[in-house]
Amino acid sequence: MGLINKTQEEYYLGPDGLWNSHDEDYGGYQFVPINDIINTFMVAYVGEDKNISKVKRTDVQFHAMRAIQEFSFDMLPQDKSIEIEVPPGLFFILPQDYVNFTKVSWTDNQGIERPIYRTNITSNPKAFLQDGAFEYMYDNDGNVLKADQSETLKRWNSDASNSVANNNNAFNLNNPDLLSLYAYGRRYGIDPELAQANGTFYIDNANGVVRFSSDLNGRIVTLKYISDGLGSDEDMVVHKFAVDAIYKYILHAVLSTRANTQEYLVARYKRELSAARRNAKIRLSQLKSELIVQVMRNQSKWIKH
Amino acid sequence: MAVSIDTVYQRVLAILNKEQRGYVTPQEFNLFANQSQLDIFEQYFYDINQFGRLSGNDTEFSDMLNILNEKINIFEANAAMVWNTTTLHWTPPANLYRIGSIVYENTITTKSLYPTPNTVVTTKVPVEAERINYNEYLAIAQSGMTKPTNSRPVFVANTSGYKVYGASEVTLTDVKCNYIKKPTEAAWGYQMIYGEALYDSTASTNFELHASEETELVIKILEFAGLAIEDIQMYQVAAGIESQTNQQEKS
Repeated sequence: MGLINKTQEEYYLGPDGLWNSHDEDYGGYQFVPINDIINTFMVAYVGEDKNISKVKRTDVQFHAMRAIQEFSFDMLPQDKSIEIEVPPGLFFILPQDYVNFTKVSWTDNQGIERPIYRTNITSNPKAFLQDGAFEYMYDNDGNVLKADQSETLKRWNSDASNSVANNNNAFNLNNPDLLSLYAYGRRYGIDPELAQANGTFYIDNANGVVRFSSDLNGRIVTLKYISDGLGSDEDMVVHKFAVDAIYKYILHAVLSTRANTQEYLVARYKRELSAARRNAKIRLSQLKSELIVQVMRNQSKWIKH
Repeated sequence: MAVSIDTVYQRVLAILNKEQRGYVTPQEFNLFANQSQLDIFEQYFYDINQFGRLSGNDTEFSDMLNILNEKINIFEANAAMVWNTTTLHWTPPANLYRIGSIVYENTITTKSLYPTPNTVVTTKVPVEAERINYNEYLAIAQSGMTKPTNSRPVFVANTSGYKVYGASEVTLTDVKCNYIKKPTEAAWGYQMIYGEALYDSTASTNFELHASEETELVIKILEFAGLAIEDIQMYQVAAGIESQTNQQEKS
């Protein structure tokens, strides 16, 4: 019995009978939902004459979800990305299912994505309010009063690159090109971290936003990010290349957290998990021989130093 | 499949009267019969536990777990559970002996291309609810990674009945259970004709146990009868046979 349970007409047209109208599940066959993984695990790995004679499905559910989380961070394909136009406030609210970013870029007129680099030279600290004597101010509950915006952020957000062009003030820069030219490069030589013209960003985790340098105002910016694969039911799927690794992860997790399990069993499944995980990683890394050949053709180039 | 109560009674009487040891009245026999039936029935669960720990064998008719399951399947039943609006719990069927699985019928709505585009299709997918303790429920419901969903429900049991939780608590409909029912009470019915009890099949209820339990029933009833008529020798012989059978079956 095959696993496909739709006709080809249903697959291509979807329930509404219209071609490519976003209700189809194109490419869905490569993924397995988490419910299928949990149910199959309970059938195939739990019971009499098996290494796990009994386990709560809630435990399996937990370990399966943890496996998806772990694998999402470094192995499963992550295609999440969001594009916005940077507002004058120079921020980008982090997506609901954001865990970490992989790449931030702005799109030029040709549609080419130009990488934007993360900077360490600024941040958005909490700004305590002070009175005329520089002492902290408190509210009625005895908590320190804080400003809505830190002075650091205000200054970073001010249109410094334009004002630099006008007054040539080397201390009001946040355009990295100008910064390296006026502040760093001039005195100590170029700093590679700052030697690019695409702008910079940093993640303001306290406020859940990405903040950009002022030169990116109005630009089209794309955030590529990773999630943990558990944000929604549609997300809770595993690529078929990684299904075996998920089973091994659950097996090892259940056995290693259970009291009185023979250590050789734990060790066996630890090794099996390691091997399955490596296989999945290799398969999912999209290494194609033709691509490797194409890249290796570069070897005949002369590299000048 | 059932074991004829009259056959068992006649055998018991025949063995007891063999050496004029005594007589078991129909009333006494009915009491001993039901005691024996329950005794044998309850032992199935412990035997399954015992044989579940062994590797078993691949023969067609002699794997102990298969044999025991065949005996117990006679009592396995499915029924819809009833939502009690007073106690706000699910009430099990009246003849429940042991609960097996509680099944929640998860309603899934999808759209289909057939017979016409965008036809709404509603299907009920039965999913087993997992048994947990109430204190566990309090913990797992707090965590996004473990909390129950409609496709992975849980249930909690207490004296009022059962609580079933999917994405929210399940009430009113859509809960069924798979359970072991109580064996029907066996009765040797009779009519008094000329001062003698004559078997009346219309007033009798046979043993529900598997046909293979006939011998076991006779021996167990003989044990009780031996005690009742104060024939210790009878009791010892019957108990010896039972012990020998058990040893042979379970070693």
